[in-house]
Amino acid sequence: MDLKLDADDLNTCVQCGLCLPHCPTFRVTGEETMSPRGRIALMRAVQDDGVPVTDEVVDAFATCVQCRGCEPACPSGVPYGHLMERTRETLADAGAMTPTWQRLALKPLAYPAMLRAGSKALSVAQRLNLVPARLGLSEEIPFSQEPLATSGDDLFLFTGCVMDAWQRDVHASGQRVLEAAGFGVTPTNDLAPCCGALQAHAGLARDTRSLAEKMMANLPAGGGETPRPIVVDSAGCGAAMKDYGHLLGTPEAEAFSARVFDIQEFVAQHMNRLPAVEPLELAVAVQDPCHLRHVQRVHDATRTVLRPFVRELIELDDDGLCCGAGGAYSVLQPELAGQIRERKVASIERAAADFVASANPGCSMHLGGVGVATVHPMQIVDRGLHGIA
Amino acid sequence: MRGQITGRLASLVKRSSKSAIEADGPDAALLADLRSALAPDRVKMDGAQRSLLGHDASVFGGGVAGPVCYPVDAAEVSAIMTIAEQHGRGIVPRGAGTGLAGGAIPLGAPVVIAVTKMNSILEVDTENRIAWVEPGVINLDLSKHLASYGFHFAPDPSSQQVCTIGGNVGNNSGGPHCLLYGVTNAHVVAMEVVLASGEIVTLGGLDAEPDGYDLRGAFVGSEGTLGITTKIAVRLTPNAPSVRTLLLAFSTVQAAANTVSAVIADGIVPAAMEVMDQRITIAVENYVNAGYPTDAAAVLLAEVEGLEGGTAIDADRIAELGRENGAVSVRVAATDEERALLWKGRKTAFGAVAQIAPDYYLHDTVVPRSKLAEVLDQIYEIADRHDVLVMNVFHAGDGNLHPLIVFDGRIEGTWDRVHAAGGEILQASLAAGGVLSGEHGIGVEKQQYMSAMFSDDDLDHQGRLRRAFDPACRANPGKVLPAGHSCADIAALRKVPSGVWG
Repeated sequence: MDLKLDADDLNTCVQCGLCLPHCPTFRVTGEETMSPRGRIALMRAVQDDGVPVTDEVVDAFATCVQCRGCEPACPSGVPYGHLMERTRETLADAGAMTPTWQRLALKPLAYPAMLRAGSKALSVAQRLNLVPARLGLSEEIPFSQEPLATSGDDLFLFTGCVMDAWQRDVHASGQRVLEAAGFGVTPTNDLAPCCGALQAHAGLARDTRSLAEKMMANLPAGGGETPRPIVVDSAGCGAAMKDYGHLLGTPEAEAFSARVFDIQEFVAQHMNRLPAVEPLELAVAVQDPCHLRHVQRVHDATRTVLRPFVRELIELDDDGLCCGAGGAYSVLQPELAGQIRERKVASIERAAADFVASANPGCSMHLGGVGVATVHPMQIVDRGLHGIA
Repeated sequence: MRGQITGRLASLVKRSSKSAIEADGPDAALLADLRSALAPDRVKMDGAQRSLLGHDASVFGGGVAGPVCYPVDAAEVSAIMTIAEQHGRGIVPRGAGTGLAGGAIPLGAPVVIAVTKMNSILEVDTENRIAWVEPGVINLDLSKHLASYGFHFAPDPSSQQVCTIGGNVGNNSGGPHCLLYGVTNAHVVAMEVVLASGEIVTLGGLDAEPDGYDLRGAFVGSEGTLGITTKIAVRLTPNAPSVRTLLLAFSTVQAAANTVSAVIADGIVPAAMEVMDQRITIAVENYVNAGYPTDAAAVLLAEVEGLEGGTAIDADRIAELGRENGAVSVRVAATDEERALLWKGRKTAFGAVAQIAPDYYLHDTVVPRSKLAEVLDQIYEIADRHDVLVMNVFHAGDGNLHPLIVFDGRIEGTWDRVHAAGGEILQASLAAGGVLSGEHGIGVEKQQYMSAMFSDDDLDHQGRLRRAFDPACRANPGKVLPAGHSCADIAALRKVPSGVWG
């Protein structure tokens, strides 16, 4: 079967295996089918040798968290994430992956009214104890809340879908920090309902492309000297939006992606605009979301931003291995996601911190599901600056 | 894993028919026995698993795996051995699959025993300076774990971030720092081993001077042909109080090689001395951005360890000897981060070559240090003559060459030229008084050259040693010793069953 993978991209892999220990599913299973090297070999087998797409082959692809921890580990620069996204897209188109119920579950993300209604229902269900534990919802979902207000037009703060419905307080902290640095903030609210990351991971890249086009039209660069930045406080969304250039392959998309910054990345560039304050009496462990560390590769900014605001910053000792959240992964592959999380939690326990700072809503929910106290880095900075959050 | 997303969703997932193999006579019985001995989900028979475990990191294909087993303890390994014997099948041990000589390639559909789930560090005994570990423990994980005690496991193959201790024992692995500390054999004091009969024995011991023949020594480096380790007692090496790392650049590869000889002749034994030629340095620098000089014909990475005063003197002297031999620049790593980045470059060199071509064939000969420059000349000449691209990156301190032929196997006729050049490189190394393999093992790769190294008598006696452990030669059949010197290997090589991708 033609997976529509670029032959040169596939051939960049020499099967050396240096990626294996950086792959969370290989780490917990020790099985080659659960490793980047194995999955690439299967892509080749399917595309080049006509090997049938059996259940086991589909499973090998479906069990990938798409954390992309293998990419920085690869000395030959195999574009693994793009290979996996394309593989899933081809298989989803052929009906071999991402069954209808998954497609339906992803639909509301692009429709804010539908998402808000669903969220309200979920919030009620949660209060009636009707929500299964496997969904890993650690915090109470708010029943209703005010949208964030615009304070100026220096930059956009991307609010997104699920995160805006469930963790709007993080956006609020991010907005206050940006305002403290002197920026007028336009929260995107319904202008840009969803980045499309989960859809791309599920092989529904067509949906992602249409969301990307919508967003590009609604978030103009403005007439100023520098194009208006789009600041994102969810690592997964930021990574997806920085990839629009590749996804759409147009100069406009490239230009759009160049305007996207992770909020830590952006604030780190403007630290001199924040007032000096007494550090909080907190020891904070930094948990790098994979799409911040392995994809955007701007995780150093988290440290730059946090350092002045806390007594102690602690590094985890697991070399940035994934926590198992992986967008919808923790719901689709709960057993593997749980095993991967156990490793992360063990590392967190060794760090003995007061809080874990995580710049991605999926990670914080997944870790919160087993009682790990996580906060967004912006909530710590906000508290340091304003004594709130 | 499909089972895990199922539950009530199971009915929504399409299922294809079972692989044809499972219904196939003898394999069905073998499989049933293995599944009753292990948990059923730790015995795999699907085409995906078997195809992936048909090869390792070497360029060799053609392996076909039988059932793939993931045991969790010695009792299970023993049960697998017994069942394989009852069914007349060979077994192949497998760690991380990073071998470069095809040692883990399954020949004749043997039962594959993957030890990756046996990955616990069982005990760290700092008083006796040993640790008991399971064979699937990753080399670098062990050293990281030992760091808090102030120790490490000295053998550090370039693949140390992924290769397993069991694989290190099987191949008697080396690594850059083995120049000072010695290879794996010097760091394994005892092992629990399952023989092909299923019997569990302990080789070696914790006493400083064990009595009797050193069967432990015979086992280390036997490439899985004598049995399979299930527990290993490794020696702990204290971390040095002071480490200094130098990067010297040269305008010829020979000048780098000569510097290496001069350092040793001067009486210094550095912890490591590694040379990379310009082509490989460019690929590596492109990945790590460690500041490797890409305009130099060769770089020498030298490291000295010990007490502060000693390393300062040694580092100065190495720099001086380098300049005397034509070094155009000498840089000393100023921080731990800088040193780590330089080593990251050296240790990912093989993986970085795909930037140049999609395939590589890595050799592993060892030559006397004094012949390094001369043999390197010949290697470049051989490669030119066969119109293949060769890069050199090697453990210069102990004369262990790693000529790396990079090519695109999709281009017709390339393989012939690669093999011809490889053969000549081996012959040139042997003619210089060298040996076939420093640390990667013989596997299937160098079997045919064993006769060039050993007489028939030598090989027959090695065959007898092997049969003392494994009379039917069912452990890793078809490896190391050439056909004719290894009893019933052929019997253990079963005809390939139908329905396997290969």
